[in-house]
Parts: sequence; structure tokens; C-alpha cells
Amino acid sequence: MRVLRKNEKMKKRVAVIVPAYNEENTIGSVVRRIQALGEGYDAIVVNDDSSDRTFSIAHQEGATVIDLPCNLGIGGAVQTGFLYALRNAYDACVQVDGDGQHPTEKIPYLLKTLFEEDLDIVIGSRFIEKTGYDISFMRRIGIGIISLFLKIFTGISVKDSTSGFRAINARAARLFANNYPQDYPEPESLIFAHKYGFKIKEVPTEMTNRLHGISSITPVKSGYYMIKVLLAMFIDLFKKI
Amino acid sequence: MLRMQIFVGIISLVLFALTFEFIRKKILREEYSILWLFTSLSIAILSLWPQMVPLISKITGFYYVTALLLVITIFLVALLMHFSIVISKIKDVNKELIQRHGLLELRIREMEQKKSS
Repeated sequence: MRVLRKNEKMKKRVAVIVPAYNEENTIGSVVRRIQALGEGYDAIVVNDDSSDRTFSIAHQEGATVIDLPCNLGIGGAVQTGFLYALRNAYDACVQVDGDGQHPTEKIPYLLKTLFEEDLDIVIGSRFIEKTGYDISFMRRIGIGIISLFLKIFTGISVKDSTSGFRAINARAARLFANNYPQDYPEPESLIFAHKYGFKIKEVPTEMTNRLHGISSITPVKSGYYMIKVLLAMFIDLFKKI
Repeated sequence: MLRMQIFVGIISLVLFALTFEFIRKKILREEYSILWLFTSLSIAILSLWPQMVPLISKITGFYYVTALLLVITIFLVALLMHFSIVISKIKDVNKELIQRHGLLELRIREMEQKKSS
């Protein structure tokens, strides 16, 4: 018991993983905002073979930058961050997008929930409370269908199933470092999490619209995207992990 | 019958020579060439021993060209499946190499920084 209390007092080390592909306009401010969180938080930028100045800007800002020689996509990039965190014995990982839409100041709140409630994954959601985030109607429906799929097949209740703003503990990081979905990592990883028996919770966070650039999911493609996601998730249900 | 035998024989020889040349030039790995060597060999046997064709027909019940076409199609589909599996495996290995490469580069960079400071 005494050991446990001692551990609680010890400062946790957190790897804030930022997958970035051509985010030169926003990566600098994202890194600065992570550093502003104070001691214990390390900004780990995974540059996914950007053709712009993402690497040099993140490097200049003092982030630890993993420079991938070829483009792996968001799943492979985030997984590289998990591998790094695993090798450097971090207590938890937080995933934050490089486009600046995630509220980095909420990271301590995600971690507090993670550690205090002894969870494996905490998801920062746009939907639980009414927030300032204006999400298109089509996308809202798409995310709703994906969430319904999750609820039916895994029993997991997550409203914002495609949110990439999440915190995971060392146990989850170890398993994800070894096996992480590559195509649609956000919703698919929840199926993996269900198979691993992870404890998942969703907490409300506000998100701002993308500062620069366009979302990788346009409304036109969203229908096609959703079918592909659901198919991938369905196959994941039968995957050996 | 003889003309056809010669024609089929040439096909098998060309296929064999191509496979051999690709292995020699290291375009094709030996493990994937076995299939092609086997194919060229079976064609060669058919040309040298055409009596096998009616024998196969008797055994399998394929008396028509369309049936043969079906067999070839199945063969090709199986081949494509095999290649898809190989590509998937290569992609996985590739991903892991890219990730390790990135992590190693970071370590080298950090070591160099430590050394210079």
C-alpha cells in the first residue's frame, strides 16, 4: 500500500504523440502548446514523410521528431509513436492531431481520468456536451452509424468513434505498438481494444475547426469512407490478434 | 498432331528459358520460380506425351475447351491470391522497417547532439 502511494506521488511521464503530414502551418503552435503543459509532457512529433517544412519547424521548436522515410498513413505514424514511448518507458501516451484542432489544454484532464479511474483508453469527444465545434451533418450521421456498429458488435458506448484525441496507458500502448490498425485506426482500434478487454471512457472536450488545410474526409467521400470503415471494422471482429 | 506438339513444345521451352533467365538476372526469386518451372515442365510433358490429354479427359471428365478454360482461370485466380498474400506480407515488413528507420535516425541525431554539446 505504501508503495502504491509512493508511485502516485511520482510524476508521470507522458508522451504526447503528434502524427503530422504536411502540417507546417500548425505544427509549431501545437508543439508549443504541448510544451506549455509543463514538466512530464514530451512532444513526440512523427513526421510522416511530409514534403513541406514540418520536420524542421517541429525540430526547431524543440520537439522530439521521428522522421519517417516513407509515408505510412496515420495508423503507422501513431504506432511509431507508441513504439518510441514503449522503448522510453513512458507511463501514458496521448494522441493529438498535427492540424491544431484538438484542445491540448485538455490533455491533463484526459490523463487525470485515465489514471484516477484506472482506464486503458480515454477518448476526447466532441459530442458529449454541446461544444463550439461545428461538424457537418453528413459526418455526424456517419460517425453515428459507426458508433452504432460498435455498440451492437462490441457493446462499447462511444459517441465520437472517429476522434483521434485520446489518451492510453502503458499497457494499451504496449499492445498497440505490437498490433495497430493501419487503414482507419480511430474506429478500428476500438474493436482491437474490445478484443484486448480494455476499459474505455469518453470525456467531453471542445474542438476547434481545422486552422489550416482541409480535412482528409470530404462530405462527398464520406459515404464511401463509411462503407469502407464498417467493412474494415467487420473484418476486425474476426481477426486473430 | 505433330505440328501441335512442336508448337506446345516451343511454348514450354520459351517459358522455361524465360524463368531461368529471370532467376539468373535475379528479377525472380527461386521460391516464386518453382511454380513457373513446374508449369513449363508440365507443358513439356504434354507435348512429348500427347496421349496424356485423352487420359486426363477420361479422369477429369473435361472434354471441352471451355472446361479447360475454367481450370486455367482457377489457376490464375489462385496465383493472384498468392501474390496478394505476398504483397501484404511485404507491406507489413516494409512498414516495420520504415518505423525502425525513423526511430534509429532519431537516436543517431540525439547521440550526435549529445556528443557536440
